[in-house]
Amino acid sequence: MKNVAVLGVGMYRFGMWSDVSNATMAREAGMMALRDANLSFKDVQAAYAGYIFAPVMAGVRTMKEFGLTGLPVQHIENASATGSAAFREACLQVESGRYDVVMVLGFDKMTQMIASSGANTAPENMEDAILPAGFFALWATRRMHERDMKPAHLAKIAAKNFNNGALNPMSQRQAKETVTVEKVLASRMVAWPLTTMMSCPIGDGAACVIVGRADLAKRLQPGRPVVRVIASDLQTEKYAPGHLFVGPIVGPGQMSIDTSRAVYEQAGLGPKDMHLVQVHDAFAIEELEYYELLGLCQPGEAEACIERGDFELGGRVPVSTDGGLIARGHPGGPTGLAQIWETTLQLRGEAAKRQVEGARNGMCHMMGGGSVCVIHILQRQ
Amino acid sequence: MTESSRLRVPIKEGFFTVPDDPAEAPKFLCTKCQTCGEYFWPRRAICAKCLSEDTVSVECEGRGTLFSYTFVHMPLFGSTNLAHMDGYGVGQVDLPEGPRIQAPLAGKKDDFQIGQQLRAELDVMREEGSRDIVIFRFRPVENQA
Repeated sequence: MKNVAVLGVGMYRFGMWSDVSNATMAREAGMMALRDANLSFKDVQAAYAGYIFAPVMAGVRTMKEFGLTGLPVQHIENASATGSAAFREACLQVESGRYDVVMVLGFDKMTQMIASSGANTAPENMEDAILPAGFFALWATRRMHERDMKPAHLAKIAAKNFNNGALNPMSQRQAKETVTVEKVLASRMVAWPLTTMMSCPIGDGAACVIVGRADLAKRLQPGRPVVRVIASDLQTEKYAPGHLFVGPIVGPGQMSIDTSRAVYEQAGLGPKDMHLVQVHDAFAIEELEYYELLGLCQPGEAEACIERGDFELGGRVPVSTDGGLIARGHPGGPTGLAQIWETTLQLRGEAAKRQVEGARNGMCHMMGGGSVCVIHILQRQ
Repeated sequence: MTESSRLRVPIKEGFFTVPDDPAEAPKFLCTKCQTCGEYFWPRRAICAKCLSEDTVSVECEGRGTLFSYTFVHMPLFGSTNLAHMDGYGVGQVDLPEGPRIQAPLAGKKDDFQIGQQLRAELDVMREEGSRDIVIFRFRPVENQA
């Protein structure tokens, strides 16, 4: 991907904001991103809005918060990967040369969705009777059967993400003291072996990224390193025996392997060149599996790498540096954009206490409904 | 018996049979591709593997092998059956014909073992007037009710 850069990023901290509207959260995140880019809304030529739970046309309606300039607005939904998929469309538009500056806005109010679904006691689909955490727990049980994984490995990942989140002012979960493996293991069991602290929270929030031509980035913010988007790929499932058609929430691991290979090839880089990585860690078992599926370690090595601290801040390749979905939160639409926010700050050297020293290449991986995988590689120029 | 005289209705049509005899295991409503031989659950018009439209509807026996399992410590969503309030097992079950099915499991966590044989049964989720709304689940064969 040539001449595409992140011009600005903004977030409305994820949390349980039942009395704050999507419009307010989205406006604040959007204005923050515009200020960060040194741009006005008048400069935005097109916009992509991403959300999962809001009503029809919520994107166009929310964009009116910034003013009515007549710009084209499109809606993107791809479950958890909504924000990442919307970001990809903006990058493709800039790359094509049609637009120079595109806004990507993600927002969601999961608290409202939970409140409204509680009124209906009959699941719409058969698989909805089963808690999503149950499907991810099946992955963990299988791993324990095939490899030397223990619940403590999952707890160590969760503890890392909680402690990273405590260094990020935009993280939903803010641990007051260092979270230990023991504390994670002692939290309430949800679906064996996954506990509440190994699972992401529900929440509300917004995030915004301004995408534009890389040559503009230097002109708009002369004193700041330019963060380019050098690779983007989105894939859906390929059929293989044992494929799950009902309740495909986890998704085939092969999808992450194939999508990561595609972005590595586009970028002319490999997993060893990544200085930090964000993944779809809705549950700790996911992050463990993605270490291997994204090539950050060899198959079967994840447990040893976790024990060594390879993926912690200060380790070989820090993962979920902002707290990940487990601590920073996962409202839905804005989640993938929060990964871009974090990676952009890290590559600019603006990540304060959680800064990965000398970070030049960062990868953002998201899964949506177990049926789509989106990966981007960002690079400091 | 009032139990057996109640009409049993599937939680969703098109996924499994509800036999007249309550002792009989439900069957899975599957599709077989006539071109490449692959089986699918649930039914579909076009083969997901070779894209052939030459597919036929078949019923697969309600039995399989446990690929993975968990125990969820929450009530089964949409169920008013008191037996579901303390949680429920969940498994991925491989039918001998190939399809992998995710479903609730009958029993407690320590009853389950990867590789064990299971048999499908119907389980009442809630009552609606004179009808019972049923979902399928699997039970370890060594532990038949």
